[in-house]
Amino acid sequence: MTNAAHATALTKVYGSGDTRVTALDSVDVEIETGRFTAIMGPSGSGKSTLMHCLAGLDFISDGRVWIGDVELSGLSDKNLTKLRRDAVGFVFQAFNLVPTLTALENITLPLDIAGRKPDQAWLDTVIDTVGLRDRLKHRPSELSGGQQQRVACARALASRPTIVFADEPTGNLDSRSGAEVLGFLRRSVDEFGQTIVMVTHDPGAASYADRVLFLADGRIVDEMHGPTADLVLERMKAFEAGRS
Amino acid sequence: MLRAALRSLLQHKLRLSLTLLAVVVGVAFVAGTYIFTDSLKRSFDALFSAPQPDVSISVDTGFNQQGGGGGGGGAAAGDQAATLPQSLVATVSKVSGVAAAYGVVSADGALVIGKDGKVVGQNGPPARGSTYVADTAISAIALASGSAPVGPDQVVLLESTATSAGVSIGDSVRIDTPGGTVRPIVVGLATRGISGSDGSTLALFDLPTAQKLMLRKADVVTGVVVRADPGVSQDSLKATLTPLLPANARALTGTQRSADIADRLSTAFQFINVFLLTFAFIALFVAIFLIFNTFSMLVAQRTRELALLRAVGASRAQVRRSVLAEATVLGLIAAVLGVLGGIGVSQGLRLLLRGFGADLPSGPLVIEPRTIVVSLVVGVLVTLVSAYVPARRAAIVPPVAAMRDEITLPNRSLIVRTVSGSVLLLLAFLLARVALSTLDDGTRAAQLAGLSALCALIAVIALAPMLGRGALFVMGWPFSGSAIGRLARENGRRNPRRTAATSSALAIGLALMTTIGVIASSTKASVADVIDTTIGADFVVFGAKFQPFSPDVYRSVKDTAGTSAVTYVRQIPIKVGTEQSVLTGVETDVFPRVVDLTMQSGTISGIGLGQVVVDDKTAATLKLKVGDTVPATFVNGASSLVLKGVYTQAGPYTGWITSIPTLMSIGARELDSAVYVKVAPAGDVGAVRVSLDAALADTPTVKLQDQASLKDQINGQFDRVFGFIYALLALAVIVAFLGIVNTLALSVHERRREVGLLRAVGTSRPQIRRMVVLEAVLISLFGAAIGVALGLVYGSLLQKVLEPQGITKLAVPGGQILWFLALSVVGGVVAALWPAFTASRLDVLKAIASE
Repeated sequence: MTNAAHATALTKVYGSGDTRVTALDSVDVEIETGRFTAIMGPSGSGKSTLMHCLAGLDFISDGRVWIGDVELSGLSDKNLTKLRRDAVGFVFQAFNLVPTLTALENITLPLDIAGRKPDQAWLDTVIDTVGLRDRLKHRPSELSGGQQQRVACARALASRPTIVFADEPTGNLDSRSGAEVLGFLRRSVDEFGQTIVMVTHDPGAASYADRVLFLADGRIVDEMHGPTADLVLERMKAFEAGRS
Repeated sequence: MLRAALRSLLQHKLRLSLTLLAVVVGVAFVAGTYIFTDSLKRSFDALFSAPQPDVSISVDTGFNQQGGGGGGGGAAAGDQAATLPQSLVATVSKVSGVAAAYGVVSADGALVIGKDGKVVGQNGPPARGSTYVADTAISAIALASGSAPVGPDQVVLLESTATSAGVSIGDSVRIDTPGGTVRPIVVGLATRGISGSDGSTLALFDLPTAQKLMLRKADVVTGVVVRADPGVSQDSLKATLTPLLPANARALTGTQRSADIADRLSTAFQFINVFLLTFAFIALFVAIFLIFNTFSMLVAQRTRELALLRAVGASRAQVRRSVLAEATVLGLIAAVLGVLGGIGVSQGLRLLLRGFGADLPSGPLVIEPRTIVVSLVVGVLVTLVSAYVPARRAAIVPPVAAMRDEITLPNRSLIVRTVSGSVLLLLAFLLARVALSTLDDGTRAAQLAGLSALCALIAVIALAPMLGRGALFVMGWPFSGSAIGRLARENGRRNPRRTAATSSALAIGLALMTTIGVIASSTKASVADVIDTTIGADFVVFGAKFQPFSPDVYRSVKDTAGTSAVTYVRQIPIKVGTEQSVLTGVETDVFPRVVDLTMQSGTISGIGLGQVVVDDKTAATLKLKVGDTVPATFVNGASSLVLKGVYTQAGPYTGWITSIPTLMSIGARELDSAVYVKVAPAGDVGAVRVSLDAALADTPTVKLQDQASLKDQINGQFDRVFGFIYALLALAVIVAFLGIVNTLALSVHERRREVGLLRAVGTSRPQIRRMVVLEAVLISLFGAAIGVALGLVYGSLLQKVLEPQGITKLAVPGGQILWFLALSVVGGVVAALWPAFTASRLDVLKAIASE
């Protein structure tokens, strides 16, 4: 099995001296291609930092990170930007869409920025999968929270990236909308072979993944394959108990 | 609450500093204007501390100081020296209480020729030839070095005149006077109490020399100055002398004369002050838009903070007061800085005026308490007024907004603005139509046009948000192919009020510039048209400083081979009723061949002694018709003239025209104001030019001009005036661009999440920069476009209103307007540099991290 992304001895340190905080402590991680990986952990465990470092949004303090076979450390801002544009898709918790652009324009934004023509057949597939055909001309302010996140998902997929990073994609949604978005992410893995990494603290969300990585105090402390919400919750409770 | 206000000021200091700058620029202009005029006034105080005659006697001509009204094609207005018999000096000397009395001569027309062979001094200010009065107790002019002039071969020059001429004591200097060219030795240099030079020159002779050169008569003077015996008051001496004077003379005490001069200066300063302040207030008005925008955005960004204040119990009034307190502090700081900046501005104004040809006397910097008070009041008031609406809006933020995650102030409907803007626009249109139908009444038409312009300006400001959405959509179309272009366009359109306020500021500046541009080019086109259609002569000779010149010039060119007509004109001031004008003497048989004169009634050819023709406007004003007898007064007396014809006022000459013999019978000096030369149909223009140049080679006091150079010269004068106005308006435009910088900087800050998102999904830094720059260009181009449109409409309307004043041709300065638009684009780019840089450097993670 190949890796869509991997990191070795990934370390991220904020500040220096007395205020020095080690967010990631020599993390080794592999993200397998075509699978849905969830990263879980309590607040402050470093799960968002890990995602940002893997995605090339943040600079690392030590170690090495690859997306596909491109190593991120050493890339200039220009090349990093290009990599994010062409090889990475993002779904954030909020502020995912540009308010001045329509849903369709938001979906094709990374392609438009790159000056590339979208693959119309693929675009249609993505749009139909997220079920937004009749909402394409709407501005984000005219869409519900769930619809907005589905637009964000469609954008993340539109350029057929090597990997999609989703940062608490359902954090701001009611359970029904959240289930729709997660269902869609699951389908994109199953039907299109997309690689997805999702950061979440919701065991229910994690249960959609193929594999769950547990993070605590900047280290990967456990891993679970074929998770269910109950199993994940149990494991999380165990950590909490172990910590206190 | 005050503490909260101050703290928020400090937090936003970077963003506020640009707002501050706008107020500072405006206030500095106001303060600078006052400091400039006060200092100028003070520098003239030396005039009043200088010694002066206890009583001075001069001719009361009843004419304004400036002499006659409109001249011919820029030529000198009529000139005539008013004189008194010299015997008056002896009469006055014998009066008891008079310690000494001196006959003096002071007249225009002593042109000092510099070492470079050119006339010293500038066009406009007089080149005076006077007597030197050695009595230091009463002479305002003091010898700085050398000795008093004695005899026909000695002269004393004003220090500044000598410097410009490049001569010093012991040198011989050429001076062309009404009495001919002389080359006396400079024996002394004089000062008149104030430094600097107003462009005038002064040559001082002894009395007989001055009489001979300036008046060409030995037995007359232009005035008598008197020193009183010790203990004799000026007033009592004046009372004693007055009964002895001829009917046309009057006596003034030294105190009265000082008061007169002070009065005249004060009027002049008042004019300069108001003129400059107008531009200062235009800049301040533009600054209001900037401040308004800044406070609006700061309030929008602080909604949560304000809501929190409300939630913990602050009342609406307290929130409002806190925003207004911020504005007050800001206004005060800006005003204080503005006063300091005013010192710089006053020096800048001096330099600017010097650049445009006025070398002003320098003196100590005067900062009156009034200057500081006015600046502080203006600074604070302008800031408060601009912050009032944002403050009100801040007060209506509901406390619950503190709990909400996303903050959006509702985009209020534009209906009220659109409707009231449309109504005002209609009103502006109607007023303009009324103005066009009342063109006969110039003042009324001008008032209506001004009112219409004001309505249109407010209408455009009100309509700008509505117009802006459409305009930016269209203007952004060429860029809509790329995602960046679309984003820039939509960013400009998303907050129409903000874009509109930013653009409006620029629009005001450019509307004024364009109006001035249209008037400037129309004026030039009209002048060119007048010259083309009414001057039949191929060459005209004018005084180098548009002063009258010796008839020798005419004599030296009148027999030039290849010419078909050579003629001269002379002018003197004339007053009919209360209408002061010019009486031009012409050779009635030749003149119509060189200057087109369309007679409406009567005729000019062969008019005899005491007969005149007049232009149709003057005839209408005075209700005169051919055959009427016109009682006229002159500098040296009165006379009755018979009206023989009325001509259409179109060409270079307006007012009264008569024959040379009539003019001389009234007592004109034998000096010409212009000589016209027409080349014969078979003649060679080039050859004639060569002959004329040769004939005038040794006469630097006159300038030979063909029609093209005449146009150039007149246009050059207009260019200087309009250039000065442009320079002053530029300040308002600069403030407007500061507004663009500020709006963009605040917008970028407001949209930092969005920028972060764009960066995250792969937008490069150059693309972010391009997006911000493009938005700035669209905003400034929109402002420039509506400004230029307004300026074109009102420039054209103003031209129509000014048509009776001689601006008969409408000319749109197309090239210049393209320049305005191009410079607006450049200005937009420059204004966007800093915000664009900031945007491209935003930390992606910080920008997208939820709070």
